[in-house]
Amino acid sequence: MTLFSDTSHLFVRSMKKLLRNPILLFFSLFQPVIFLLFFTQLFSKFSLLPGFPAGASYQDYAVAGIVLQNGFSSSFQSGTAIVDDLRSGFLSKMLATPVSRSAILLGRILSDAFRVIVQSTIIFGLAFILGTSAATGILGYLVALSIIAFFGLAWSGISLSIGLRTKSAETVFGIAGFLTFPLLFTSTALVSSGVLPKWMQTVSSYNPISYTTDAIRALVLGMNSNTGYTVGTILTAYGVIGFIGILTMGATLYLFRKVVS
Amino acid sequence: MRYIQYDSVSKMVAIQVENLVMTYGDGTKAVKGISFGVDEGEFFGFLGPNGAGKSTTIKILTTLLRKTSGSVKVAGHDVEHDAQTIRKLIGVQMQDTVIDEDLTGRENLMLQGHLQSLHGEDLRTRVNELLKIVDLEGAANKRAAYYSGGMKKRLDLASTLVHQPRLLFLDEPTTGLDPQTRATVWSYLKQLNQEQGITIFITTQYLEEVDRLCRRLAILDHGEIVAKGSPAELKQEIGADAITLGFGNGTTGNGTAREKAKQILTGLSGVTNIVDADGGVVVYAKNGGFMVPDIVRAFDGANIRLSSIGVSTPTLDDVFLKHTGRRIRPEELDKSRGSGRMFSRRR
Repeated sequence: MTLFSDTSHLFVRSMKKLLRNPILLFFSLFQPVIFLLFFTQLFSKFSLLPGFPAGASYQDYAVAGIVLQNGFSSSFQSGTAIVDDLRSGFLSKMLATPVSRSAILLGRILSDAFRVIVQSTIIFGLAFILGTSAATGILGYLVALSIIAFFGLAWSGISLSIGLRTKSAETVFGIAGFLTFPLLFTSTALVSSGVLPKWMQTVSSYNPISYTTDAIRALVLGMNSNTGYTVGTILTAYGVIGFIGILTMGATLYLFRKVVS
Repeated sequence: MRYIQYDSVSKMVAIQVENLVMTYGDGTKAVKGISFGVDEGEFFGFLGPNGAGKSTTIKILTTLLRKTSGSVKVAGHDVEHDAQTIRKLIGVQMQDTVIDEDLTGRENLMLQGHLQSLHGEDLRTRVNELLKIVDLEGAANKRAAYYSGGMKKRLDLASTLVHQPRLLFLDEPTTGLDPQTRATVWSYLKQLNQEQGITIFITTQYLEEVDRLCRRLAILDHGEIVAKGSPAELKQEIGADAITLGFGNGTTGNGTAREKAKQILTGLSGVTNIVDADGGVVVYAKNGGFMVPDIVRAFDGANIRLSSIGVSTPTLDDVFLKHTGRRIRPEELDKSRGSGRMFSRRR
C-alpha cells in the first residue's frame, strides 16, 4: 500500500534529519531538565502545602508537569519543520511526484510523536535516577508516554497550522514562546489547584494542560484515596486531548490541502 | 523498473496547451490565454522576462498549481484529471536547487525514487548509475550540506531523473552556476535529449545555448506569448542586421539626446526598427555595415557623440529585445542572484 510505504519513507527521512541534528532532539529538553534539577529542589517545601498528596516529594509531584512542558515546546518544532520544507521548495518537489499527499503530513506527525516519546523517556529516566518512580510501574510509564504522545500530536497541530498559514518559522516560535508560560502557570502542571488564587483556579479548570498533567500525575503518584486520582482522571485526559486533536488536526488538514492543491 | 508509456494516440505530442489562463486569488492575471504545443523528443525553450508568467505556467504544467481555465495536456493526459499519471512521467527541476542537505547524495536519490514508488535492487542500480553520470560517485555518501554549489545542482538534476521521466521540466537550470558547471549541465541536457529522446521544456536566460539546442521556442511577456518558432525563423523575422549604438558621455540616460538621435535615425532610409537599450539604442537595418557611415555623419552634424558602434547579424537577444523591449543579461543575473530582481520593468 503506497500510503504505508510512502509514510514510512518520509518518517525515516525525518528520523535521519533528527539524528543528524541532535540539537533538534535536545533543544526542547533544556528547560525541562533545568526544572527537574533545580526548580523541584528550590520549591521542595511545596509538597507540605495543603492540597499536595501526603508522602510524595515535590519532585514526584512536578515530574508530570515537566514532561508536559517538554511535550509542549517540542510540539512547536513540527511547525518549523514544515515551514523549512515549504520555504526550501522541498514540499513542491515532493508534490511533483505521485507520493501520497497524506503521507507527507503523516510522516511528519509520526516522527514528531516519536521525538516526544524519546524526550519524555529521557525525563522520566532522569527523574528515576533522582528518586521518582511511577507508582503504577512499567505499564504506567507506557500509558503516560501514550498520553504525552497524543498530547504532542494534538498540540503540534497548532504549530503546523501556524506554519502552513504564515510560512514563517519565526512566527511559530514567537507564538509558541508567548503561549508556553501563561498556559503552564494557569494549570496544575506545577502546583495543585488548592494553592492557586481563585481566578487561576477557574482558568486552570478549563486549561487542557491541567487535565493532561493530572492524568500523567495519576500514573506517577498512583490512583488511590490519598492522591484523589482515579482511572476516570486518565480517561478524561484522553477525551480532552481527543477533542483538541480533532480541532487542531482539522485546521492542519484544511490548511495543508490549500497548500497542496 | 517500471515504465509508463505514452498513450499511443498522443505519441507525437508531449505538451498541448490551449487558451491557458491563470488568475490568482488577488486578481493578478499571470497568464492570459496562451496556446502552444511541444512535440515528443523536442528541446523547447520557454523564454521571457521575470514576472512574465513562466514559472506560473511551469507550475500548472507540472500539476503544482490549478489553472483558472483552458486546456493543458501533458504526455497526453489532462493535468487536472490525470495528475497522478503525469507525475510519474515527468521530472521537475525548480529554479532554486532543492535537495535535502541533511541527507547524503545517495539518500537524496533513493528518497526521490521511493517517492516515485521505486524500490529494491532496481532502484539501487539506477541510483548508482545516476551518481556516475553526474560525477558524484566519490561524494555519494557525504551529506549534501557539504557539497559545492555545482555538486548540489548536479544532484538536483539527477534526482529529477531517478524514475526515467520521458519529459523534463527545467526552470532556470543553470542560473547561478560557474561557467564550467553550466557547460556540464548543458551537455547532460543535450545528451538526455539526443541520446534518450527525453522531451525537454526549459526556461533560461542563456540565449546562446537556446540558439544551439532548442528546436523551437516561445517568448512570453506580460502573460502572453509574443513570439514562437525556431531560433532561425525568429531571427529571420527581424530581417535586418542589428547596429548597436552607445552614446558618449553626457548623453546617456538623457532623454532628449536619445530622442534626438532616434529622430535622426528614423529619417535615414534603410532603417527598419529602433529599440531602446541601456546606454544607447539598437537600430535594425538591411545591410547594416553600409549604414554605419550614414549614421556617423548624421550624428556628427547633430552633435551627438557616439561611444561605440557594433554591427551584428541578429541574435536571439535581438529577438528578445524586439518582442519584450528588454535584454537578457545572464552575467548580471548571476551577480544579483538572490536579490530576486533580475530585470527592471520598464513600461
